[in-house]
Amino acid sequence: MNLNYSLPPDDREAGQGAVGEDIQFCIPANLSLLGRRMSGWFLVGESRWAYVENGEVKQSGEIAEGSNYKMVPLIGNVILECELFGGKTILARSTMEHAARYGYLSQVLNDKASSKKVRMYKREEEASCATCGGALIPGTRVCPRCMNKGAAFKRLFAVSGRHWKSFILVLVILFASSGLALLGPYFQKLLINGALQPAAGTEASTTLFFSAIAGMVGCLLVAELLGITRNRMMAGISSGISADLRKLVYDKTQSLSLGFMTSQRAGDMMNRITSDTERIRQLIQELCTTAVYQLIMLVAASTLLFMADWRLAIVVLLPAPIVAYLHRYIWKNVLNRLFHKQWRVYDKANSFLHDVLSGIRVVKAFGKEEREIKRFREYNANYAAMTLKSEKLYSILSPITNYLIQLGQYFVLLIGCNLILRSEMSIGELIQFSAYASMIFGPISWLMFMPRWVANAIVSIERIFSVIDERPEVEEARQPIKHDIKGHVQFKDVYFGYKSYEAVLRDINLEIKPGEMIGLVGHSGSGKSTLINLLSRFYDVNEGVITIDGVDIREIEQSELRSQIGVVLQETFLFNGSIMDNIRYAKTDATNEEVIEAARIANAHNFIIGQADGYDTMLDENGSNLSGGERQRLAIARAVLGNPRLLILDEATASLDIETESAIQEALQRLARGRTTVAIAHRLSTLRNADRLIVLEKGRIAETGTHTELMQKKGIYYKLIQAQREMSTRIDKEFVSGISEEAEAGAV
Amino acid sequence: MTTKTIEAATEQSEQVSTEPVITELAEAAAITFLDRSNASFRLTEGGMLAVEHDGKQHEAVYVHSSFPHSNRASYLSIRTIENKEIGIVRQLEDFDEATAELLVQQLQVRYFAPQINKLLKVKEEFGYSYWEAETDSGIVKFTVRGGVGQIKLVTPVRLLITDVDGNRFIIPDYTALSDKEYRMIELYM
Repeated sequence: MNLNYSLPPDDREAGQGAVGEDIQFCIPANLSLLGRRMSGWFLVGESRWAYVENGEVKQSGEIAEGSNYKMVPLIGNVILECELFGGKTILARSTMEHAARYGYLSQVLNDKASSKKVRMYKREEEASCATCGGALIPGTRVCPRCMNKGAAFKRLFAVSGRHWKSFILVLVILFASSGLALLGPYFQKLLINGALQPAAGTEASTTLFFSAIAGMVGCLLVAELLGITRNRMMAGISSGISADLRKLVYDKTQSLSLGFMTSQRAGDMMNRITSDTERIRQLIQELCTTAVYQLIMLVAASTLLFMADWRLAIVVLLPAPIVAYLHRYIWKNVLNRLFHKQWRVYDKANSFLHDVLSGIRVVKAFGKEEREIKRFREYNANYAAMTLKSEKLYSILSPITNYLIQLGQYFVLLIGCNLILRSEMSIGELIQFSAYASMIFGPISWLMFMPRWVANAIVSIERIFSVIDERPEVEEARQPIKHDIKGHVQFKDVYFGYKSYEAVLRDINLEIKPGEMIGLVGHSGSGKSTLINLLSRFYDVNEGVITIDGVDIREIEQSELRSQIGVVLQETFLFNGSIMDNIRYAKTDATNEEVIEAARIANAHNFIIGQADGYDTMLDENGSNLSGGERQRLAIARAVLGNPRLLILDEATASLDIETESAIQEALQRLARGRTTVAIAHRLSTLRNADRLIVLEKGRIAETGTHTELMQKKGIYYKLIQAQREMSTRIDKEFVSGISEEAEAGAV
Repeated sequence: MTTKTIEAATEQSEQVSTEPVITELAEAAAITFLDRSNASFRLTEGGMLAVEHDGKQHEAVYVHSSFPHSNRASYLSIRTIENKEIGIVRQLEDFDEATAELLVQQLQVRYFAPQINKLLKVKEEFGYSYWEAETDSGIVKFTVRGGVGQIKLVTPVRLLITDVDGNRFIIPDYTALSDKEYRMIELYM
């Protein structure tokens, strides 16, 4: 990320006057407060900041005078503000493209203001093209201006290498079938010249007649057979290649870090795995069948045309590209637009229909049927009108374009007939000739359309390889060690932020003894879940180290580490499959008895047994046929089945009622003996069994101690407890008074 | 800020009924409305908006519009940085002219979206469209991601375009575009 733009000389001079020789950061501040675009800059030196515009320092100050520097995102713009002399001040304003830069900068300014070390870990990649230096679209790594089309294809060929033998065979078949296609007209000529209208002075030959017919039929037959073979082979090859690609992408997604996966929208990933590979499959198939075939035909047919009669060949070939271009132009600029619009209207009507039908209960509940009928009529009429319009135009345009295509043929006939009348050509030759001529147009018009879909396919190829080439953020150590966890966990001076300019955890020092149960407490956003993410090594720390039994967790083999950590998250995810499969996910070779044990610990056994299909109950998508509490209990069962040495519970019992929760708590208590447990809970009663409570506040450890110790301290924890108690007593009171009122009413 | 813009802003707000109706709904919603009788706004030295309401000072507040597109200057929610609502300004006429000007200014700070006066070029390639347009803050070039949601009609005629960085651009009335300009964007609508 560029945080130090090079300044124009006069701005630079002015800036150095204000912040000192060493301008450490320099970011465009391209908006005035009232929204005019400016060429201003925000500069940060060793201890001063300044706002410079057109070689003039407009504002400057000591960094240490301000505090709480902050990037505030507004709508379509961001401002940098800080607290200065007790009041808030806007320092700079900019458009959105510099938002992240101001985020960084505010962090830097805060560090400088409190004279701390400026912490910048990973400079997030600047989205700019490596070749042309132009800005890159966020979320992509390919600059459309200098995308190397050749390189993309090369990669694709490398992946397709496995199939080269089949490719050659297909090529041979292609040549053979195009040869056969070209033979057809030759037999026609034979038939006409030899049998139907023999040249003057020769007899019509029956042998020639039959052999010509046989040749034509034979050509047709063999060509069809070859076509079938070719298509079957190509289907095999292209599916093979796209399956290879899908596998590559999928394998990669599994090994990529959580950081990458959450930054990509899940749908985007799905697209890459399914539709992009499908598009590539089509490309290969088209390229290797139609494209090559069309090219062969084009070259061969035009050669044959020239050999037959060069004057006629020119008459045919010259207008062909023009006609083909015209054809393409009409399609692209008129018909495509029209159909696109029609499709849009159709889509709108469709989504309206989907909307109303799935919300039919609401429509009925509000009695709005009439209104919806009227609205649908409108959409429907629109669609009908649009369809009529495009069909009308199409019905006019398509005969015209077809006529244009055949225009060349009329000229051929005109000149050809003249030649025949002057006896310079036989009828058979003319027929053969016009048959070849008709073979020309197809390939030419096809070639006109080719660039567009090749370009589309290239984007797909690039997108797929951008995933395949991605390097995982959490990397396996060079020589990972296997380690049997005993449960001694230590955080030493840990700093971490998902974006390096926003530290989520700061200065974390924590020691957890084997078998200890730790409760993590704090407001939402205080860094509890982040701490757990670091412990499971979904992310690596920016600074400091986390050890388990004295071993840096970055040294431990990832799969080894995670197989010994049991995680239950608040949002439980269950896969399609039976309850059995889902519990067994943690340990695929678990026996039936082990599964039942785990379910009993999680207090899930009873409800599972109650199901008609018991443990064989098939779950709908994400277990939607179970209640939230039931899903959570399955997730707990899944986590305990692996018999993990380290148990992480992130709001694991939040959607359970108190009674079920305490039952599970008891079971977990039994299980947790001798096992290190880290639990997060908003409901503080959940953590009453914890040996120690850690209170996090804004990414720092604010308090530690047992429940009693913390209550005596009357700090943050005390306040949290008080707030929750107040809440529940208020509810209780209201409830009780409600009952008594009801009782009174009943008595009356 | 000229008085003309204020007039334009107030003109819009006149479309809503100005007479507050006390209903059961209003009673339940318990909205705090700010007007010249109970609140006063001022600009701090640091260029932030401050408000005094019922004797309480709020140093840095932000003005959020309830209807940024259809009725920008009405029902302005005055909020702190912690996103707590201090109250709602029903319409600018509830304050004196200077304050109204101040509020309109704050709206401009918060909602930055250059108006496109003339479209120069729209080119689509590889799932992104590249735009070049004359706006009221100069000629801009920006890139818009393809697919739904980036270009949308926020009122029957007002088009909102969001670029890949999150910058917003407005075409106030797409029916007023020239034929040539309209053809550039019609596929996205």
